[in-house]
Amino acid sequence: MRPRKLVFSPARRPILVVLLLVTTLMGASCAGQTTPSSGQPVQGGIATFAEPANTTPNYIFPFMSTAYFSVTTVSDLQYLMYRPLYWFGDNGQPVLNDRLSLADYPTFSDANRTVTVKLRDYAWSDNTKVTADSVVFWINMMKAEKKNWAVYVPGGIPDDIDSVTADSPNQVTFHLNQSYSAKWFVYNELAQITPLPHAWDRTATGTSDCEHDVGDCTAVYDYLTAAAKTINSYATNPLWQVVDGPWRLKSFNADGNISFIPNKSYSGPNKPHLAQFNEAPFSDNAAEYNVLRSGDNSIQVGYLPPENAPAKPDDQAVGHNPLENNYTLDRWYSFAVNYFVLNSHNPKVGPIFQQQYFRQALASLVDQKSIIKAAVHGYGATTNGPVPTTPSNPYASDMTEPNPFTYDPERASRLLADHGWSTPRDGVGTCERPGTGPNQCGPGVTAGTQLDFQMMYATGTPQINLAMQQLQSSATKVGIKLDLQGAPFNTVIGTAIPCDAGKPDCNWEMGNWGAGWVFAPDFYPTGEQIFGTGAGSNQGSFSDPKLDQLIAVTQHSDSPEALQAYAQYGSQTVPVIWGPNYDYAETEIANNLKGVTPQSPYLNITPEDWYYVR
Amino acid sequence: MTGFITRRLLQSIVVVLLVTVIVFILLHLLPGGPARAQLGPRATPAAIATFNHQMGYDRSLPVQYWHWLTELVTGNLGFSVKFNQSVASLIGERLPKTLVLTVLSTLFALVVAIPLGMVQAVKRNHAADYAITFWAFVFYATPPFFLGVVLIVVFSVYLPILPAEAPQSSSLGVILSQPGGLILPVLTLALLTIAQFSRYMRSSVIENLTEDYVRTARAKGAGERSVLIRHVLRNSLIPVATLLGLSLPAIFSGALITEAVFNFPGMGQLFWTAAQTQDYPIMLGITVLVGVATVIGSLLADLAYAVLDPRVRYA
Amino acid sequence: MTAIPADDAALSDSPKARGVFAGPLSAFAENKLALVGLGIVVAFILFCYLGPVVYHTDQVHIDLSQATLAPSGAHPLGTNEVGYDQLGRLMAGGQSSLEVGVAAALLATTFGTLWGAVAGYAGGFIDSAMMRIVDALLAVPALFLLLFLASIARPTVGLLILVIALISWLSPARLVRGQALTLRTRDYVTSVRLMGGGPLRAILRHIAPNAIGTVVVNATFQVADAILIVAALSFLGLGIPPPAANWGDMLSNGINYTYDGYWWLIYPPGLAIVAVVVAFNLIGDALRDSFEVRLQQR
Repeated sequence: MRPRKLVFSPARRPILVVLLLVTTLMGASCAGQTTPSSGQPVQGGIATFAEPANTTPNYIFPFMSTAYFSVTTVSDLQYLMYRPLYWFGDNGQPVLNDRLSLADYPTFSDANRTVTVKLRDYAWSDNTKVTADSVVFWINMMKAEKKNWAVYVPGGIPDDIDSVTADSPNQVTFHLNQSYSAKWFVYNELAQITPLPHAWDRTATGTSDCEHDVGDCTAVYDYLTAAAKTINSYATNPLWQVVDGPWRLKSFNADGNISFIPNKSYSGPNKPHLAQFNEAPFSDNAAEYNVLRSGDNSIQVGYLPPENAPAKPDDQAVGHNPLENNYTLDRWYSFAVNYFVLNSHNPKVGPIFQQQYFRQALASLVDQKSIIKAAVHGYGATTNGPVPTTPSNPYASDMTEPNPFTYDPERASRLLADHGWSTPRDGVGTCERPGTGPNQCGPGVTAGTQLDFQMMYATGTPQINLAMQQLQSSATKVGIKLDLQGAPFNTVIGTAIPCDAGKPDCNWEMGNWGAGWVFAPDFYPTGEQIFGTGAGSNQGSFSDPKLDQLIAVTQHSDSPEALQAYAQYGSQTVPVIWGPNYDYAETEIANNLKGVTPQSPYLNITPEDWYYVR
Repeated sequence: MTGFITRRLLQSIVVVLLVTVIVFILLHLLPGGPARAQLGPRATPAAIATFNHQMGYDRSLPVQYWHWLTELVTGNLGFSVKFNQSVASLIGERLPKTLVLTVLSTLFALVVAIPLGMVQAVKRNHAADYAITFWAFVFYATPPFFLGVVLIVVFSVYLPILPAEAPQSSSLGVILSQPGGLILPVLTLALLTIAQFSRYMRSSVIENLTEDYVRTARAKGAGERSVLIRHVLRNSLIPVATLLGLSLPAIFSGALITEAVFNFPGMGQLFWTAAQTQDYPIMLGITVLVGVATVIGSLLADLAYAVLDPRVRYA
Repeated sequence: MTAIPADDAALSDSPKARGVFAGPLSAFAENKLALVGLGIVVAFILFCYLGPVVYHTDQVHIDLSQATLAPSGAHPLGTNEVGYDQLGRLMAGGQSSLEVGVAAALLATTFGTLWGAVAGYAGGFIDSAMMRIVDALLAVPALFLLLFLASIARPTVGLLILVIALISWLSPARLVRGQALTLRTRDYVTSVRLMGGGPLRAILRHIAPNAIGTVVVNATFQVADAILIVAALSFLGLGIPPPAANWGDMLSNGINYTYDGYWWLIYPPGLAIVAVVVAFNLIGDALRDSFEVRLQQR
């Protein structure tokens, strides 16, 4: 599928000759055919990619704050031009991609406290090289402006780096404050590094030295951020023309119409085949679908909105494609977990949420499979624990039906009854056996406490609406009363936050913003940011010392079983209530465009691999 | 006369200031605050504090209001973080398109409603009056998004002669060059205003038909048509002019929904997106703009009324 | 809908001083459209409140396997996207829409009438201040205000009524103030003042009853507008939360399926809204015509 670069070494020459002969013969025989042959790339052509509905890339400077951080901005704009140090997503698998990385896999020494990174030979488009300085530039900026870095967590990079040195133009050494797991450090910490060009080490008055002096970085950050805020100058400002990726900007319109042309000095192995790559904005799914249906060929890579997809049979990966005359359908999975959170610090219902049996019962009331069928016509996967099981990946092996709490209202009823709750159908259950014993309600739950909860969920998406109504309805079977309160997405994430018991912002009970957590750029799904005690994105303030300990093992030990132990315990203890993980998109690819699949579960795109066939 | 104008002008300024205060207070009552909304679920407390400080949300409300007001007067409507553009440039991009939609639909509504109202008045309490009244009510009673969907189904699905979506470009030129895509949104918005305007016209014409000058004109031998067009029409249009000025908020509300249904890239859609993301600067900017436009509109309507009808000046 | 008084019937009625309602009621009864409107409202009330007694459906528990079924013997209007019977939902939704509409109208009219009466009677600076506030609120498009208000308050039925009333009280306030301005110069009001009666007495016993015609007419239109506003709010995603049914909610959910051909999700609630709103408008319009007959007799 992807054209492979032939390696010219002496031992392989005879084979090479044979291969050349064979391919020439094949090419000759294919020349007169009308059906596209798979494998004869045609150089040139323009391909247009449909941006997700109502989302456009709008920030060009890779060192951005959370306000600008989004999949579209990072994957559909920045990564095309400014390559991250390490690339993730290889052949549809959520693993490191050595081929597209700017450095070799690091070597760890000194009990994993010293990390040495050897850079490969990559060039910036202004005739300078990507050197160790480019990496230290980024690290220094992180040190000076970490509060403005989108995915900074206290204790994470750059806090865990005691010192970083540029040993030589193509080697960087990090000295860490502790011993960390190699995989975790590469996948979740080094993954945040995007080398920056020397041309950006400046302020309005002239060159600066953030690459060597952290004190200069704030001024440089301010200068670059100010330039990034003038969105209409992205294609003209010479700063942004200095790229090390396969593409550079031809034109940029704030409404989302963007064109890229190949960067002639790209040093990577996969040089673009296309002459131009465009992105087109759409304000909603219907608008995009209408364009695909019209057959006017203005979009080569688009998406089929799930509401327009014919229902997918359970035993097939892909259902009937209504656009098959012009497009091929490929599912784009996202390496993510979807869930809603329970506020364990809520003074009234927090003690109930802290009981493991209750969470397990609540999880048993979610009918993920029916929701997927009804809401997205089958184009989704169940979330079975803290580690995604779709697409199949090395982290979730030995698990075919790993969710110990699939939809089973009987189990929910049993769990509640076994712990002292009444479960009147269509009524409100109360705690009849308070106490801390094995068959009692649990610590902090008084007699007569009711199973009456408020669920705030994000309106505007049919999927969430449907899922919430399903939960509410099945909860009535076991005496749990759910008060649904719809609110705009941003109100929900503004309200469902980590809080302290007793404070006024801690009165929320359950919150569902429908988006869960996508594992990017924390590509190794160790979960410390969402399930660790006190973590910034642990919205429900969930706390389980055993889970914390298992997470710590994944972060500090190189044992391959560490993640699986964590995943299995996470499925058991149900820190959050899992929900369906919908596909990122049902991608429709023009029949004469190849190289688009397999699609990365980390949601990157590599249009440099795309090519037309005759 | 100048006294009247000065009085009305002062009143208008007070109203505009009140509008800004009301909107400002309402926005800051929204739970969750703008920081979490703009920064997303991954925001750390430190990031939120930084954001609040950069945008000035950590200062007291009156200070924030004063700051925003002084900026407003100099033309700076603020900066939207989500769009990474200044509010003024966003509005500048979108406003012309909404204007095209509202102006076209209002003109169309007037062209249809005025003669319709006259017909109803002349033939009042007869079958034609009842029939038109009934249909006017039906269109008034139809939720705009329902009307839009019905039109889409009829003209885009069953008889595929019109596109279901408005032209998707950000440039006004492209939108104007595809008039087919404008027909359904304009029609949807117009049908609602026609219903209201024709009722007004009807009442107004009926009232004028009983006036003395009409009897005089008829007594002098003027033909019925001449009476209608040369005398009654002009006088009946006065309250319609007032209604136009007062209808601006309703027209913009209608435009908001119409733009949502037809995906029209105008100001209403921008407001709706901003409301979803609690993008305060945009919401404030647009509301103030519409509020000021309404106040100016009603001021002009009152002035026109005063010029045309001297009795009003001394009220 | 506020309009300048029109009096086509003044030419035919005899100017006899009757009770407040007797004249208008007979004029009303002569208006055929008004009777049609009344008929529609009564029919819907019967449908929504007596219907469920005759035709039982479960509007609380969903069954995803029964979603979006086409109309059939078991489900005369099919099922909706979570499996509720659509006909039963139409009845339940009607109850909610009518109740919210009437409650919001009553609240808005009461508050607005009092505001306008006080402003009109007081006159001068108080009147000016009170009416500038009204002008300011009127200058902000209703939907914009609604988006703000409804984002603050997580919608329950009570809050929804409050929110709708909050933007609807403006038009009765203006109307009644206009009336009060005219009426306060009347002889019977000035004599109350001369006799030493307080403003409250003047307002309650003289101004309010004479403005009652305007108020009743306006209240009728308020009901119609309130039902439309609930529909608009649902479309914008801020309606009453499930499992409560509501025509506006049903319609805005149904619109997602325009291209899928599930017409039973779209037209029944849409036509129901149109029918009831038209009916209330017809009644209100006829009431206005009849009350103005009486007002013209000075």
